Amino acid sequence: MERRAGKGTYITVVISVVISFFPIVWLILTSLKNTAGIYSWPPQYWPDPFTLENYIYIFTETPELLRYVVNSFIVGVGCTALTLTAGGMAGYALARLRLRFSTGLMLMILSVSMFPPIALLPSLFQSFVNLGFLNSYLGLIVAHTGLFLPYAVFMLASYFATLPVEIEEAAQIDGMGFLQIFTSIVAPLSWPGFVATGLIIFIFSWNEFPLALVLMTQDAMRTAPVGISLYPGEFAFPWETISTATVIAIIPILVITAIFQKQILGGLTAGTGK
Amino acid sequence: MRFPKIAAAVSAALLSAFAPQYATAEDLILSIGPRGYGGVVPDAVASFQEANPDISVEWLKISDVPSESRKLYVTSFTAKAPTPDVMTVDVIWPGEFAKRGWIAPLSEHFEADELQNFNSALLEAATLGDEFYGVPLFVGGTLFFYRKDLLDKYDLPVPATWEDVIASAKVVLEGENDPDLVGFTSMWAKIEGLFMNWLSFVYGNGGTFFDENGDVAVNSPEAIHAMQTMVDILYEHKIANEGILNMRPDDARTLFQQGRAVFMMVQDFVHAPLSADDSPVDGKFDFRRIPTFAGHEDAPTTAMGGFLIAMNANSENKEAAVKLIKHLTSYDRQLWAATEASKSPGRVDVVSDEGMQKVPVLARFGEAFAKGVVRPSALTGNAYPKVSDVMQIEITNALHQRKTAEEAMNDAAEQINLILGK
Amino acid sequence: MSQILTTLSPLERRRQRVGIGFITPTLLIIALILVYPVVQSFVMSFQQQGFAGDETTWVGTRHYDAMFASSRFWNALTVTVVFTLITIPVELAIGLGLAILMNESFRGKGFARLAVLFPWAFPTALNALMWRWMYNADYGIFNDVALKAGVIAEPVNWLGDATLAMMSMAVVSIWKTSSFMALIILAGLQAIPRDLFEAGRMDGMNRWQEFTQITLPLLRGSILVALVIRSMDALRTFELPFNLTDGGPVAATETLSLYAYKTIFEFVEFNSGAAIVVVQFAVIFALSLIYVFALRPKD
Repeated sequence: MERRAGKGTYITVVISVVISFFPIVWLILTSLKNTAGIYSWPPQYWPDPFTLENYIYIFTETPELLRYVVNSFIVGVGCTALTLTAGGMAGYALARLRLRFSTGLMLMILSVSMFPPIALLPSLFQSFVNLGFLNSYLGLIVAHTGLFLPYAVFMLASYFATLPVEIEEAAQIDGMGFLQIFTSIVAPLSWPGFVATGLIIFIFSWNEFPLALVLMTQDAMRTAPVGISLYPGEFAFPWETISTATVIAIIPILVITAIFQKQILGGLTAGTGK
Repeated sequence: MRFPKIAAAVSAALLSAFAPQYATAEDLILSIGPRGYGGVVPDAVASFQEANPDISVEWLKISDVPSESRKLYVTSFTAKAPTPDVMTVDVIWPGEFAKRGWIAPLSEHFEADELQNFNSALLEAATLGDEFYGVPLFVGGTLFFYRKDLLDKYDLPVPATWEDVIASAKVVLEGENDPDLVGFTSMWAKIEGLFMNWLSFVYGNGGTFFDENGDVAVNSPEAIHAMQTMVDILYEHKIANEGILNMRPDDARTLFQQGRAVFMMVQDFVHAPLSADDSPVDGKFDFRRIPTFAGHEDAPTTAMGGFLIAMNANSENKEAAVKLIKHLTSYDRQLWAATEASKSPGRVDVVSDEGMQKVPVLARFGEAFAKGVVRPSALTGNAYPKVSDVMQIEITNALHQRKTAEEAMNDAAEQINLILGK
Repeated sequence: MSQILTTLSPLERRRQRVGIGFITPTLLIIALILVYPVVQSFVMSFQQQGFAGDETTWVGTRHYDAMFASSRFWNALTVTVVFTLITIPVELAIGLGLAILMNESFRGKGFARLAVLFPWAFPTALNALMWRWMYNADYGIFNDVALKAGVIAEPVNWLGDATLAMMSMAVVSIWKTSSFMALIILAGLQAIPRDLFEAGRMDGMNRWQEFTQITLPLLRGSILVALVIRSMDALRTFELPFNLTDGGPVAATETLSLYAYKTIFEFVEFNSGAAIVVVQFAVIFALSLIYVFALRPKD
C-alpha cells in the first residue's frame, strides 16, 4: 500500500519542477523570438512576435547540424554499448569474482580517470594520429569509452555488490559458468543499475566537447556540441541561432531520458523480485 | 537479458562499418571560420579551382572564436599534423607560431613591391627578422561610437579628446536622468580586448609599449596617466558602471543597441547589427576614430585586429598552398570580399577602387585603420600570450582598485621584463 | 602467474581466470586512452620541451618549484577546493531530497521526474553561457526580475564581485548536478525492498524515523558512489568557469583545470601544465583513497 502524497509533497514537486525547467523554458522561448526581441530592453519574456524564423534559418542555411546530431547519436550509442559491456564485466570481476589485487585495480582505474580531460588532449591527439584513429567513429567511441569506463566500473561494481549473493551461489552449485551467471542472472537483476549508468554515460558522451573537437577534424564527422560552437562569430554570440541549435541538439537526449526514466524509476518490482 | 551480447554485436558492427578515414594527399585543406570570412570562401574557392583544375580545395570550417580554433591549432601543430595546409590566423599569432616553427615563411614567394600593397601594421605583426609569415587577409579595429541624437539634444559637438568625452557624458547623463543609461561602455572584462583598449588610451596620450630603446614602457608617465583615466571613468567621473568589468564586445554592443549607452568603444563589427532595420538605435548613432588626449590630436588610437592567411610548416602541398594564398589575397578577391561581404581588405590598394563606393562605411573604417596601433605580438614572439596575460591582469587590478594605476603598471613592467629576459 | 593459480582450488582458479578475462577489455581501453597520456604527463612535468628543432631536456623539479612558488597556483588550488566544499554538500542534500521525492507516488510523476532529471542533461558549456547571459548586470533577467519584485534596490553585479562570482558559479553547479546525484541515489532507492517500509509502518514509525532508520543506512552505498564521482568531477571543473567567468574577476573563479588549460593552450607550456595536472591528480587521488577504502566490499 503506497502512502498517498500530501500537500507538502505537491508543493515541493512544483517548486522543483519550476527551478529545474526554467532555463530550458527560457532557451526554448528565446529560440522562438526574433533578434530584436531577444536583445530588447526591458527583457521580453514572451515572444512577440512568435516566430519560427530561427528554425527555418537553421534548416536551410546550416542543415549540417542534423548530420552533427546523427554523429553524436552514433558515438553516444556506441560508447554506451561498449562502456556498459566492458564496464559491466569489469565491475562484476571486481565485485564478485574476488580477484586478487581488486582494491589495487579499482584504485588504479579510478585514479587514471582523475586527470582533467583537457590535459589529455595533446597526448591523445598524437596517439590517434599515429594510430590513424582521427576522424573515425570508432576512434571517438573508444576515446569516450576510455573517459567514462572508470565511472561505469565504479557504479556498476557498487551496484553488483548490493545484490544478494545467494542467487549466484545457488547457480554456481548448479554448475553454471561465471559468464553464464553474469549474463543470465546478474545482468537482468541489475537492470536499473545498467540503465541509470547507461543514461549517464550516454549524456556524458553527448555533451563531451574537447576530445570531440580535436579528434574529429573533418566537418562531416563532427558531433553536435562542436557543430554548435561554429555558430558564434569572433565577437558576436548570436543567441537566436545558438538557442535554436541547442534545442534541436537536446531533443534526442530529452527523448531518451523520457523513455528511460520509466525504466529507472517506474516498476517497483524491477530488479528486486525477492 | 542478453544485453551484453547485444552490446557486443553493436560494437562489432560499428567496428567494421566505420573504419578510420584519411585525407587524401592531393587535397588542400583550407581552414577558415564560417561566420567571419565564411561568406567569401565559397566564391573564392570556386574561382581558384576554375583557374587551377588540378588542385582541389576542401573548406574546413573551424570556430571563428580565436580561443576555440587555437585549441585545435595548438594540438595539431604540436603533433606536426600536415593539415590544414592553409589557415587563417589571428593577427597576434604569427609571431608566436613562427617562433615555434608551426607556420612557414612566405618571403620567397612575394616580391617586395607586392608587399607594399598590404596593410603595413598587420604585415609588421607577421614579420620576424627579415621573413614574414602571413599575408593580411582582412582587418578590423576598434572604433568610438556615439549617440548622435543625444549629442544634438544637448548641443554638444562630437568629442575628439577624452577630456571632452567625459565632460559630454556627464552633461547627457545629468540631463537624461535615466538610471538605465550609462555614459560609456566598452569591453573591459579580463580579455584580449581590454589590452587593446588600454593600448588605445596609452598611445592616444603619446605613450608606447616599447620605447625608442626597445625597453618596456608600460609604466611611463603617459601610460600611467592613461591607465588612471580609465580608472577615473569608472570611479571618479562615474560615466561607466561596474558592469563594464564583465563586458565582452558583444555585451557592450547589446547595451548600446538597447539605447542605454551614450558612448561605446568596441571593434568595427558592431556597425552591422547596430544599423539593422530592427535596431532601436538605427539612424541615431555614428562613429569616429577613438579619441586622443588633449595635446596629442595626431596620435594613432585604432587598436588593430584582423586575420592573416598562413601556411602550415608541415604541409605536404606547399606549392599548391602558396597559389591558394596568392589567390585569396589577390586584388580581385580582396575587392570582392570588400564589396560583396563587407570585409575590410588586407590590401590597401583596393580601398581606392571605384567599386568601393558600394560600401562607403568601409572607406571610413579605412581612415581610422590608417591611424592604427598593433599589439606587440611580433616583438615578443612566443612570449606574447604571457605578456598579454600579465597586462590583462594588471589592468584589471587597477580597474578593480586592488592596486593604484601606478603600482599596477610598475608591476606589469617588472613581470614583462622577467618574461622577456631583460 | 601459474604459480599463484596452482595454490588455489579449481573453483578459485576458474574464478581468477574469468575475472582476469572480464577485466581485460577495460584495462586495455583505459591503458590506451588514460594511462598512456597520464604517464606521458608525469614524464613531461620533469622535462622542458624544445621548439622548432631544439632538444627536449630534463629539468628535474624546476616546474614544480616554480609552481609552488607562484601565487596563481595556490589561488587556483584554493578556488578549486572551496568550490568543491561549497557545492558537494548542497548537491548531495538536494539530490537526496529529489530522489526521495521522485520515489513517491503522485499525479504527474512521470513529467516531474523528467523535468527534475533534465538540468543535468544540458551541455555544460551552453548552460554556462546561458547563465552568464541571465546573470548580466545590465540586461540579465535575474536583475530584471529581482528589481521588479523589489528584492533588490540596485542591479547586482553577479559575476563582477569576487565572492558573488563564486556563489553564482556554485548556484549553476548545484542547479545542474543535484539531478545527477538524484539519479544515482534513486537507483539505490529502487533496490530497497518495499516490505521493509511496510514493516516499519506497522511498527508505527513516522516518516522521519523511516528515513533515518531504514532509508539512509541502505542508501549508504549509493550516496558514497554519488559523492566519489561528483567530488572527482568538482575538483576538475573546467567548462563551467571557462564559459561563465573565464576565471574572473581577477582569478576569483580560476580553478586548477582552468589554470592548467591556460598554461597548456594559451602559453603553450606543456611541461608546466603537466606539473599542474599532476598535482591536481595527487589531490584527487588522496581524496579517493579515503573513499575507496570506505567502500571496499566487506568480505
